[in-house]
Amino acid sequence: MRASQLHWSGPAGWMDENSHPQPVDLVLYFGTRAALACGARYRELRAMFPRAHLLGCSTGGQIRGTDVSDDEIAAVALQFDATRVKLVAHAVADIGRSRACGEDIGRSLVADDLAGIFILSDGLKVNGAQLVAGVAGIIGDDIPLTGGLAGDGAAFAETLVGADGAPQPGMVGAVGFYGKAIRIGHGSAGGWDPFGPRRRVTHAHGNILLALDGQPALDLYERYLGEEDIKGLPGTALLFPLIIQDPERPEHEVVRTIVGINRDDRSLIFAGDVPEGWMARLMRGNFDNLAAGAAEAARQADAGLGNDIAGDAVSVMVSCIGRRLLLGQRITDEVEAAVNEMRAMTHLGFFSYGEISPHAVSGCCELHNQTMTVTALSEAA
Amino acid sequence: MNRRSIVDKLFAQQIAKARTPSGEVDLELLGSLVVAAYAEAERDRRRNEHAIAMMVEEVDQLNRGLEKLVGQRTAELKAREAELEEQNFRFDAAINNMSQGLLMFDSEARLVICNRRYLEIYGLSPEHACPGVALVDMLKQRAAMGTFAGDPDEYLAFLVNSLAQGKNVTRVIELPDARIISVVNHPMPGGGWVATHEDITERRRAEQQIAHMARHDALTDLPNRVLLSERLSERLTAGAHHGEMLAVLYLDLDHFKGVNDTLGHSVGDELLKAIADRLRSCANDTDTVARIGGDEFAIIQTNIESPSEAAMLARLICDTIKAPYNLHGHVVIVDTSIGIAIAPNDGVDVDELLKNADMALYGAKADGRGTYRFFESDMDARVKARRTMELALRKALEVGEFELHYQPLLDLKQDRVTCCEALLRWRHPEQGMIPPSEFIPVAEEIGLIVPLGEWVLRQACLDAAGWPEDVHVAVNLSPSQLINQSLLPVVINALAMSGLSACRLELEITEAVLMQNTETTMATLHRLRELGMRISMDDFGTGYSSLSYLRSFPFDKIKIDRCFISGLPDADDSLAIVRAVTGLAGSLRMTTTAEGVETQQQLEQVRLLGCTEIQGFVFSRPRPAAEISAFLRPDRPIARIA
Repeated sequence: MRASQLHWSGPAGWMDENSHPQPVDLVLYFGTRAALACGARYRELRAMFPRAHLLGCSTGGQIRGTDVSDDEIAAVALQFDATRVKLVAHAVADIGRSRACGEDIGRSLVADDLAGIFILSDGLKVNGAQLVAGVAGIIGDDIPLTGGLAGDGAAFAETLVGADGAPQPGMVGAVGFYGKAIRIGHGSAGGWDPFGPRRRVTHAHGNILLALDGQPALDLYERYLGEEDIKGLPGTALLFPLIIQDPERPEHEVVRTIVGINRDDRSLIFAGDVPEGWMARLMRGNFDNLAAGAAEAARQADAGLGNDIAGDAVSVMVSCIGRRLLLGQRITDEVEAAVNEMRAMTHLGFFSYGEISPHAVSGCCELHNQTMTVTALSEAA
Repeated sequence: MNRRSIVDKLFAQQIAKARTPSGEVDLELLGSLVVAAYAEAERDRRRNEHAIAMMVEEVDQLNRGLEKLVGQRTAELKAREAELEEQNFRFDAAINNMSQGLLMFDSEARLVICNRRYLEIYGLSPEHACPGVALVDMLKQRAAMGTFAGDPDEYLAFLVNSLAQGKNVTRVIELPDARIISVVNHPMPGGGWVATHEDITERRRAEQQIAHMARHDALTDLPNRVLLSERLSERLTAGAHHGEMLAVLYLDLDHFKGVNDTLGHSVGDELLKAIADRLRSCANDTDTVARIGGDEFAIIQTNIESPSEAAMLARLICDTIKAPYNLHGHVVIVDTSIGIAIAPNDGVDVDELLKNADMALYGAKADGRGTYRFFESDMDARVKARRTMELALRKALEVGEFELHYQPLLDLKQDRVTCCEALLRWRHPEQGMIPPSEFIPVAEEIGLIVPLGEWVLRQACLDAAGWPEDVHVAVNLSPSQLINQSLLPVVINALAMSGLSACRLELEITEAVLMQNTETTMATLHRLRELGMRISMDDFGTGYSSLSYLRSFPFDKIKIDRCFISGLPDADDSLAIVRAVTGLAGSLRMTTTAEGVETQQQLEQVRLLGCTEIQGFVFSRPRPAAEISAFLRPDRPIARIA
């Protein structure tokens, strides 16, 4: 496999980091909604890579190498030696169809030699948990499914996904990797520290959390945020992700992040389901621990590549927007920590509204929040 | 990475970011980045502080909530503990105060619960019955103490096996000290069982007592009619095969009612007990002496060779019973009448024999009491006739078949009728006139004599009221009437209804009345005399101690019995008696009447002997009421008795 990185910025336009291998099979790109919304960037990429599949999304910031930027587009062009790729695009008209959409994608991509799927989804109009469950229900838990939900900075207004087309809201794009040569490593870790009392989810519908221990969920968050951060809702709610746990499977913990609030019914809208009856605990980030979490995810991904790789390797980091809001300028700490753990020479990624990766313990593909999720790609020698 | 290197690295990044394309550092930009970093750090610190403060507050709140909850729960637990303790206390109190011994065993035959009563029953100490001890060990302990008989292991095996089949295991054991314990083992779900041990000694005794009472007379402790019938039935059944002869003697005390009435029931009861003892002494061990009610007794005399043995026993009983009794200072003499039936001749079943013995008793009484009679086949008819008379007598009073006849008494000095004696007659619609000697004893026996006497008093007063003023009427009073408390009001009522003056009523009593010489009788006689009535002693001289009775009451008149008059004028002894009586009466200022004067010589004799009056056929037979009125008319010249 050969990977070449490129990026775009307003003043400079597209800049190649290397000369691109031809023909390119797949281009992954991540940029701000502002940069992608007009469709011009897509058309420029299409012109550059007429035969490649182009899969990208809007973000809460991009990662390129160890840099984090807000106004660029980070992209990578990949040429495979022995791996076939297939891209599917799906528009989700109704958030309630998220699972069906996932099942459609699964059915479109499933094949005997399917080795893995990288998926990007709208971050606001799709229930990521249902989407993942839909795909995983078709392809099974043995085939890694990674990716993330598109972001919109701290605005939470609109997210875009483009899959062989101009990025649009309400889209889901997924690329399947086929054949024996492809090596896909993945890792996911949070590094958040649970704090405060354990609470029970006493009222919830799907991804809408209405009450914890009988108290309105938004009240709890506002109390913890304090007056200064209440103004920044819903973005600031990311500072306190929720770790939820099925009381019947206590070892299985999932972190959920807030993507919206409803002041009328004092509810919080999460990027994934928050089932009633589950236990929940607030989490809080510590700069060093978050960076350590990122490093852990990177270690897992790198290990997943194995030792028989040849050519280039690329890591796609999908990190939660919440981490970025918390870490501020020190966001580069976690990127550096991750990069330092990997053999890959090419690193890119974005800050998302949700990360998709197999669960570190159960192995089941799931939607994560507030994690650093790393997908490493390479081909066997 | 240490803090210093982090800061260094951040600052390096900031410098890199602030570097312009020309390589110079834009200090303004660098400054803003540094300020922003400080602001971020400061904000993070504030957030952390706030979050920690919130958490502390929340945790504190939760803690308070938990403390409150723990407090509540602790209080609840304490309350429940107290309740449980109370419950346990009540449970302990309940089981330890049970009258039964109570044990509970688990499925391994080990003790779970044992109450105090169980220990008491078997004299065990608490260490013998600690929870967890095996039943077999408890049984061995009891065996050593003598309160368990048998092999403990065998008994346990039997018990467990029976209980396993869901059966109650019940047994009654008798302890060496004669206490009787009822043990019930009741299986429980799960293989254990509950055992109760109850001391039923008293209950058993009471049951035996009740069984005894059901077959014995409470007063004399003799067998009662039930046991008599059972014994008789047994003997008849057993004897039937060997042709065994036995006798049933039926006894009835003569005039026992009088003892009860005059001396009171306590003396009557004492008499019955004494009689029971005497009857026992008369009978053999194999005989059965029973009291079958009131003053009636029966004896089953077994293994006799001939009826004469029964007659011997009857005579022995008559003699034994006749001997005087000293009861609470009273000397009492009673006679007994006995009826005898012999099996198999007079019957082969219980009812028949008892009935025939009773009939024979009836016969004995009819023969004048104080004797015995064997059953005879025609007794049945006689008894029936007697029963018929009883019924007819009762009816006769209701429908007015009785009438009074009057026999005049002639005053020998005044030569006129001074008094008429009322004599009761029964005009039976079919049998015609029935003499008083036939029906008066029956009326006495069936208690009809009192109402009959009342009728006589009323009727005699009514009749006499129509007679001339100087003619008295004499009415006989029976002993029963004098005992009866209602005599005085009845007499007063009869006088009031008829308008007859009290001084014209003479009341005649016999010695038999004075034999029951009680305060009540004497008081009644005095009261009657105070009211103006005259009291006569009738049939004087027939009793044992007539003379002595004259001292006990101031009689107005003595009526010398006809047996002395009939011997006149030839019998010297009669002459002497009549002379003595008239002499005595004269000195006591009593008038004398010679009864049954039939001949002119007798009349002359008694006149010479000093009798005041005569009564007899020589002057007038008894006449019906209608006839006597005409006889007494003042214009009717008195027939001169020459």
